[in-house]
Amino acid sequence: MSVEATDHYSNCTHCGFCLAVCPTYILTGDENNSPRGRLRLWSEEAAGKIPRDEWTDFYTSECVGCLACETACPAHVPYGELFEHTRHDHVATHRSHPSPAIRLAAHAVTHQSLFNLAMLPARMMRNLGLTPHPFLLPGKPALLKSTAGYARELMRAKKPTGPRVALLTGCLMEAMFRDINFATVRVLIENNCQVITPENQTCCGTFQEHTGLEGVEALREQNRRAFGPLDVDAIVSNSSGCGYSLAKTLAPNKPVRDVLTFLGDLDLKKREPRSTTARLYVDLPCHLVHGQKAPGIPANVLDATGIPWALAPNAKDCCGSGGVYNLDKPENARAILSAKSAFLNEAEGDPVILGTANHVCMMQWHSAGATGLVTRPYEVKHVIQLLDPGEGFALTPV
Amino acid sequence: MLRQLQSLITRGRVLTSPAQLAGYSADGLGYKRFMPDAVVIPADADELVAFMRGAKSVGVPVILRGAGTSLSGGPVAAQGGVVVHTSSLKRIREINVEGFWCEVECGVALNDLDAALKPHGVFYPPDPSSGPVCTLGGNIASNAGGAHCFRYGVTSNYVLGVEAVMLDGSVHRFGGPAGGHGPWREDWKRFMIGSEGTLAAFTRFWLRLLPLPEKVWTFRATYPDLRSIEAAIHALVAHPAYPAAIEMIDPRGVAMVEGSQMACGLPKGSFMLLTEIDGPAALVDARVQSIAKLLRDAGSDDVVFSDDEPTRMKLWKARKAAGGLMGQLSADFVVQDAVIPKRALAEVLQLVYDEADAAGIPAVNIFHAGDGNLHPNFLFNSRKPGDLEKVEHISKALMKRVIEVGGTLSGEHGIGNDKAAYMPLVFGPDSMRLQLAVPAAFNPAHQLNPLKVLEARRFVA
Ligand SMILES: Cc1cc2nc3c(=O)[nH]c(=O)nc-3n(C[C@H](O)[C@H](O)[C@H](O)COP(=O)(O)OP(=O)(O)OC[C@H]3O[C@@H](n4cnc5c(N)ncnc54)[C@H](O)[C@@H]3O)c2cc1C
Ligand code: SF4
Ligand code: SF4
Repeated sequence: MSVEATDHYSNCTHCGFCLAVCPTYILTGDENNSPRGRLRLWSEEAAGKIPRDEWTDFYTSECVGCLACETACPAHVPYGELFEHTRHDHVATHRSHPSPAIRLAAHAVTHQSLFNLAMLPARMMRNLGLTPHPFLLPGKPALLKSTAGYARELMRAKKPTGPRVALLTGCLMEAMFRDINFATVRVLIENNCQVITPENQTCCGTFQEHTGLEGVEALREQNRRAFGPLDVDAIVSNSSGCGYSLAKTLAPNKPVRDVLTFLGDLDLKKREPRSTTARLYVDLPCHLVHGQKAPGIPANVLDATGIPWALAPNAKDCCGSGGVYNLDKPENARAILSAKSAFLNEAEGDPVILGTANHVCMMQWHSAGATGLVTRPYEVKHVIQLLDPGEGFALTPV
Repeated sequence: MLRQLQSLITRGRVLTSPAQLAGYSADGLGYKRFMPDAVVIPADADELVAFMRGAKSVGVPVILRGAGTSLSGGPVAAQGGVVVHTSSLKRIREINVEGFWCEVECGVALNDLDAALKPHGVFYPPDPSSGPVCTLGGNIASNAGGAHCFRYGVTSNYVLGVEAVMLDGSVHRFGGPAGGHGPWREDWKRFMIGSEGTLAAFTRFWLRLLPLPEKVWTFRATYPDLRSIEAAIHALVAHPAYPAAIEMIDPRGVAMVEGSQMACGLPKGSFMLLTEIDGPAALVDARVQSIAKLLRDAGSDDVVFSDDEPTRMKLWKARKAAGGLMGQLSADFVVQDAVIPKRALAEVLQLVYDEADAAGIPAVNIFHAGDGNLHPNFLFNSRKPGDLEKVEHISKALMKRVIEVGGTLSGEHGIGNDKAAYMPLVFGPDSMRLQLAVPAAFNPAHQLNPLKVLEARRFVA
C-alpha cells in the first residue's frame, strides 16, 4: 500500500456514520464487515499493527463496492479509491483468487468484437424469449448490427441539429443488451441530439475494477484516446457504473454524464400514457447516486415516461448486484436483494415496472422474480426504454 | 478461552483473529487503540443472557458495545477482555401509541426507531447527533443528550424501564411500560441509566413517547463575534417561546461545513446559531417574527427560518454531521464535554481559544449552547510526539476553569476511559468513594467494563 493511500486513512475520524448505510454491516452485524472496520483493518496492516491475515482478505472480499459509505462520510474518506487499490493489491499478491470464469470474462471484454461474437447465442436466446438463467432478461437485441452502425443510419435519416453527444456503448451492454443501446440512440436522436459513437472506444474498465484484475489502465488509456480529443457537448453513458468509471478516466478534462441526467436538461419528448393502471417504481443505482453523486434520476425524465412513478423504498440502497458481486457472493447478494425487493410482492399497479439505470442492477432485479423472491409478475426496464419512441421511429418521416 | 466462548455462543459469532479484533479496537475516538482478546456477537437476547451466565468463569473483562460511537473511550477493551457486540438485538418489539410507550431491544439504532415511530405521530425526544447509527443501549448506558434536550431533557427522562442482565446471568427488570420502580422498592433504573456498561448488560427498554409537535420552525442566524452570539443565546433562553434547541458552531466549524456536501452558504468567519420552536401551529406561527427579531437585535443581519421539512432538515444536517467533519482537518481529536453555567459561556470559550492558540492546537467548537454543554474539539496528530500532551494540558486548564465557574466534567458523552483521570478534579474523596461503591455492589471484581469512569475500577481475576 502506497504512502499516499495510507495517508487517506487518517481522514477517518471513526465517527461510525457509514455503518448505518453499509449493506454488509446491516447483514452481518460484524464491525469488521463495515466501511469503518475495513478501513481499520487496511490501515492497521499498512502500519504493521496487525499481521497479514486471511480475515482481512475475507472482509475485503465481502464489500459490495456500493459506495454508500462515501456519501455518508462527513470526513470525505475516499473509500472507493482505497477499496479499489486494496482489491487490486490482494489479487496481485494472491490473497484473492478470482474464479477462472471471471478471469476469462475480464479478458473477453477487452476484445469487443470477439466478445460480441461469443455473446451471439445469448442475444439469440433473448430474442427467442429463452431466458433460462435468472440474470438473463427478456429483450430483442439486434443480432449483428452494432450500436455504432445503427446510430450512423439513424443520424443520416433524421439529421438532428442539437447538442453533439458521444455515447459509451460498453462491453456487456453492446454484446448482450444492445437493445438498450439502440433505445438510447433513438431517444437522443428523437430529442434532436447528434449521436457520435467513437469507433475505437472500449470497455470502461469497471469489470477490472470490480475484480481487482490487471488491465484497467490499458482500457482507460484507450478510452482517453477515443473520447479525449472529441469536440462534443457531452459524453454520456446509459449504465451508471460504466459512466462512473469513464468519468474517473476522463477527469478532470471531460465530464461524463449519465444519459438520464443529461436528458433532464432538455425539453423532453413525452411518451403517451401506456395504461391507467401501470406503475413505475424507480430504483437508483449506487454508482449513479453514490459514485457519480447525482441526486437521482431527474423528475422531468421520469414524468416523460407517461407512467405514474414513485421511488422504490430505500431507492438509494444497494440491490446487491455490485458488478460481479452477485456471482462472487451469491448468498449475500440474495439476502440484500431479498430485503430490497420484498415491496414488489405487494406493490400496486398492473403492470408493475421496476425502472433503473444500470444493466447489472437490471439483471439482479430480474433474478428476484426468477428465483422466487418476488412471486408476482413484474417487468424490469431501463428508464431509457420507457422513453423509447420504438423501432418504428426509424421509419417515421423527419 | 476460545472453546469456552464457543460453548456459550453457539448461534452467534465468536471472533478471535487479529484482523477480527482490530475492527473493535476503538470507539468514536479512533486514535486510542485497545485490542480486545475476543469479540462475541450474540444472536439474540437469550444468547446474551447465556453468555453473561458463563462470563465469570471465562475470567476476563466484559465490555458491552452498541455502535461504538462513544466519544469517551466507553465500549473499548481498556484492560483487554471480551467485547460483546449487540448488533443482532435490533428488534422494535412494540409501539404502543395509546399508551405513548415503545419496547425496543438494546441494539436498535436511534434513527431507525424515529423512522418507525413517525407514521404513528409520536416521537422519542433524545437526539444525539450520532442518531443514524448509535444504539439505544449506548444511549441509555451514557444517558445521552442531544440538541433538543434543551427543552425536552436527556435520555433519563424517557426511560420507563430497563431489562438488565447481571454477571451471574440473572435477568432483572427495573420499571417497565408503566414506568416507576417496577417490583423494586427504589427506582433502581436510575442507577442503570448512565452506568456506562459498569453495572449490567441491558437487553431491552421501555421508552416514553410524546406526540409529534404540530408545527416546527427552525432558525439559523450568523454572528460576527462571540459577544453577539452569546447575547442571542441569553435572550433565547429567556424567551417565552422556550426554544426546543439552541446550538452553536464557531467559525472553524462553519468553515468545515462550507467545505463539505452540507455547504449552505454560511458567511466566512461567522458564528452560527441554530434554534427551533415547536408546538401547536397557531401558537408557534404567532411567535416566529419575535424570534427572528430577537436574533437580529442581538446583532445578526443573516437570519434564515423555515417551517418546510426538507429545508429544516438541511439546516440541521450541517449541525448533525459536524462531529465527523473534523476528519477534513484531522482524524485525531479529543472532544471535551464540560457543562458550565451559561453566563460563563463567552469567557470559557475565550479560554479555550487562547490556550489552544498558545499551544498551536486547532480548537473547533460545535455544541449545545442552550444547555451550556461545551464540546471543544482539539485536533492533533497522534503520530507527532508531544501533541497529545499539549491537548491534555489544555484540557486540564479548561477543566480547572470549568470547576471555578461552577460547571462539571461531562454533560452527555460519559466518562469512559478518556475522562476518568479528570474525575478527582471534580469530585472529592468522599464522593469518589461512594461512586465506586455502586459498581462494586453490582460486580465486586469490576469485571464489567473495567478502567471506565473511575480509574480504581481495575478487574482482578
Ligand atoms: C458524530 C458524533 C456525534 C455525537 N453526538 C452526541 C450527542 O449529541 N449527544 C450525546 O449524548 N452523545 C453524542 N455522541 C456520543 C455517542 O454517540 C453517544 O454516547 C451514544 O449514546 C453512544 O451509543 P453507541 O450505541 O454508539 O454506544 P457505544 O459507543 O457502543 O457504547 C457507549 C457506552 O454504552 C455501553 N453500552 C452499550 N450498549 C450497552 C448495553 N446493551 N448494555 C450496557 N451497556 C451498554 C458501552 O459499554 C459504553 O460504555 C456523538 C458521537 C459521535 C461520533
Ligand atoms: S462500498 Fe458499500 S458494501 Fe463496501 S463498505 Fe462501503 S457501504 Fe459497505
Ligand atoms: S463515516 Fe467516514 S469518518 Fe466516519 S467512520 Fe465512516 S469512513 Fe470514518
